[in-house]
Amino acid sequence: MSDDKRVFEGRIKVPYKHTAGAYVEKFLTEIGQNRKIMGVKCPKCKKVFVPPKMVCFECFEKMEEWVEVGNQGTLKGFTVVTHKTDVMPLKPPFAYGIIRLDGADTDIVHLIKESDPNKLKAGMRVEASFYAKPRKRILDIEYFKPI
Amino acid sequence: MVRQKGEFQIRWKTDLPYRWAIGKLAVKYFEELKKRKIMGSKCPKCGKMYMPPRGVCADCFVEMTVDDMVELSRKGTLMGFTVVNYPFVDPNTGAMRPFPYGYVICQLDGADTYLMHFCDEIDHTKFKIGQRVEAVFCDELPKDHESYRPELKGDIYDIPFIRLLKDEEV
Amino acid sequence: MPKHDVAIVGIGQTKFRSKRRDVNIPEMIYEAVKAALDDANLEIKDIDALLIGNMDHFEGINFSELWTGIDACGFYLKPVVKIATGGTTGSSLGISGYYNIASGIYDKVLVVGWEKLNEGGATTGIITAFDPVWERPSLAGALGPLALMANIYASKYGIERSMEASADVVVKNRSNAANNEFAHLQMPNITTDFVMSSQMISYPLRLHDCCPQSEGACAVIYANENEAKKITDNPAWFKGVSTAHYYTFGCDDIMYNLPTATIASKKIYKKVGIKDPIKDLDVAEIYEPTSWAELAWTEALGFCDFGKGHTLLDEGISKMGGEMPVNPSGGVLSTNPIGATALVRFAEAAIQIMGRGGKRQVPDAEVAMGMGFGGSLWTELCILGKDPKPVR
Repeated sequence: MSDDKRVFEGRIKVPYKHTAGAYVEKFLTEIGQNRKIMGVKCPKCKKVFVPPKMVCFECFEKMEEWVEVGNQGTLKGFTVVTHKTDVMPLKPPFAYGIIRLDGADTDIVHLIKESDPNKLKAGMRVEASFYAKPRKRILDIEYFKPI
Repeated sequence: MVRQKGEFQIRWKTDLPYRWAIGKLAVKYFEELKKRKIMGSKCPKCGKMYMPPRGVCADCFVEMTVDDMVELSRKGTLMGFTVVNYPFVDPNTGAMRPFPYGYVICQLDGADTYLMHFCDEIDHTKFKIGQRVEAVFCDELPKDHESYRPELKGDIYDIPFIRLLKDEEV
Repeated sequence: MPKHDVAIVGIGQTKFRSKRRDVNIPEMIYEAVKAALDDANLEIKDIDALLIGNMDHFEGINFSELWTGIDACGFYLKPVVKIATGGTTGSSLGISGYYNIASGIYDKVLVVGWEKLNEGGATTGIITAFDPVWERPSLAGALGPLALMANIYASKYGIERSMEASADVVVKNRSNAANNEFAHLQMPNITTDFVMSSQMISYPLRLHDCCPQSEGACAVIYANENEAKKITDNPAWFKGVSTAHYYTFGCDDIMYNLPTATIASKKIYKKVGIKDPIKDLDVAEIYEPTSWAELAWTEALGFCDFGKGHTLLDEGISKMGGEMPVNPSGGVLSTNPIGATALVRFAEAAIQIMGRGGKRQVPDAEVAMGMGFGGSLWTELCILGKDPKPVR
């Protein structure tokens, strides 16, 4: 109990298993085993989704054609995190970027290994850096670094 | 490419801290509980006695305040019982809740609602619907009991469980 | 007053199973949505709005409408509402679908309920739905209170006879489930002895007195009278809906006889002109989370007098071939994907009206009831038929 008798302090602690699905599994496996970033292409609008998903939400078509996209891409926007909380993946300062990989039609948000905002610019080129020991997690792309 | 059968699962555990404001009536309840009093709240319109106490009578949609709180008996009547005998994760702790445990619904004398709580009896043949029961305070337990505490603190652990009263105690 | 008549014109269900490790959440829901669209011969662009629901804390994914509205249902830049009301989630969805069409706001809506219970766990998740100060420490999910209610019900009417009649409910429903390819538990040869000798998990409930935890989704397409006739010449029409919600705390009343079912059913019988449910209804799909609950709920719904739930079974009334079969689909005792469960009741009632039940079809079903149960012992009902008019 809190010292403040008006408040009851408690927690919710629950274990979960999240089924990733075959699309996500293949995506993570290709990154881990082959250092390749794969997307899926809509048979109707030809958009390439990275990360992959089963259904194109605009056309409502099932997507089955896998395509490799580049390990490089363009930074569309960024922020530098300086405020520290308990749930950060890295020690601040670090950057998050919105990245459009070459050949993809969707963006991904990921970590950027550059904490000086003066060295980051929308439109600059970035490249994926892979984690040495893959664990089938999105952080098997450890971060993107400016080229 | 033909879709492969995926079996891959990501496992994780949430662990989220919360601070729930319990409301004025519950604050009063726990203050009084520390003095060994169990308080309900009585609707000023229909007279229904709620336990746990709360701010609104749902039947009348009339507000109840701490001034509407009235002491109830620690004794009551057993309405129903079960012995929980299955495994599950307790979200309060993140660990398996120990089982089997006795679980009862009873009506404290003076209350119009009911109380669901632990019971220290786990043999289902020992319960009898309609029998007398009593709320147990933690400081009355033997010192080696897992729920024993030397004094009341004004929290939910002050009444760790309900016990069945033997015929000679009634 | 409703501005429009409302019909169910398309239904899609996944095959419900204990685990669907081959698909993630949106992929699983997509199966049901695609099946419903194919069933109604519609495309997603034809649908005006989406109502979708589950209980987020069962899977630990919050904001589930984001996960499921777009990727699973293709509702890109279109109206999506998420509904979560515990066990009644599916019937709250089903009734909201009715309101959305009846009010004239939309012509066609897609209603989707889903759950993937093996990814978290119902008991643990349900505990987090209740009061952290008063209820969570001792609450054992839904089964603890249901066992207490079973104990009160069975003691009132004779514990051995009640639990034997309850086991008969399990045998009836799980035998029915063998006629339903979508049902989770397929136990065609189950016997009363088998149920009554299974493990005691919360006295007086044994393992097979209880529903399973299932994974799957159910999608239902609703349309108004103008759209419905373009889609099918055999829709299931809503004659009425009804809902009754109750107290905050699970222990505010001794609810073994489910007062909300009595309140909600009286309201809907009046609205729809039903005098004798057994004669006026041809089939009912009710939400029985445990065996004894079907006895108690059918009493509360006025199918028989209080304490006489077993007579519906003894006299064969609620069995297939009886005067008013209850749960031809196998019911909740065979399949319980919580957020979808009550919507499946509505969908199965519609399937009976449309005459598309196959081996589980009740011959010449013209009036059917669907029931949702959950929350703090809430009841939500619909009555469907061959036309939207009252029965008398």
